[in-house]
Amino acid sequence: MQKDATLDTKGLMCPMPIVQLAKKVKDLKSGQVLELLADDVGAKEDVPAWCSRTGNQLVGTETEGTLLKFYIKVK
Amino acid sequence: MCMVVSEGTFDKAYMPLIMGQTAAASGTEVHVFYTFFGTKLVTKKANPKLPGMYRLFTGMFRNRMQKVGIAGYQEFLKQCQELGVNFYACSTTMSLMGVKNEDLLPGVKLLGAAAFLKLASESQTTLFIG
Repeated sequence: MQKDATLDTKGLMCPMPIVQLAKKVKDLKSGQVLELLADDVGAKEDVPAWCSRTGNQLVGTETEGTLLKFYIKVK
Repeated sequence: MCMVVSEGTFDKAYMPLIMGQTAAASGTEVHVFYTFFGTKLVTKKANPKLPGMYRLFTGMFRNRMQKVGIAGYQEFLKQCQELGVNFYACSTTMSLMGVKNEDLLPGVKLLGAAAFLKLASESQTTLFIG
């Protein structure tokens, strides 16, 4: 999937992936797509929940073994 | 979002910060009200321990949490404040717990029950951490 930036949160657990995601999104422009890498199982539900709460759009997810990839289009 | 914290142990100390930090990162206004044993958690010297016998394993817990990116307690408080989390100490129980105004971390406000209830009534979520 096309992306403008990547945020790697591998090894971090709740709430750090979400906290770093929120910080990173602030640095991006509206319409840009951020790739978020996470291996915290909680992120599977947390990232979609954060997106729906903040109005950022989750445009795709991929799983590679234990690695989760989220593609978030900035509001 | 409002939270009431009435205990001062490690587990009760971290939970409101994890919830509060996440909520603040999602754009939610967060108010955390510390009362009874909780008031010690917003002091400059706060260094909470696990409850009872588990107290001995606090260091191990802290190391494990640091490995997954969760800061030490004082640093975690600071991170929350930077994200806009509001901390309050209960004015009545402070004297009961021997906590003085000057012991409180900068930015911690003093509040009575009525003022907290007003905040809670205007909030969609209220959690009690006791």
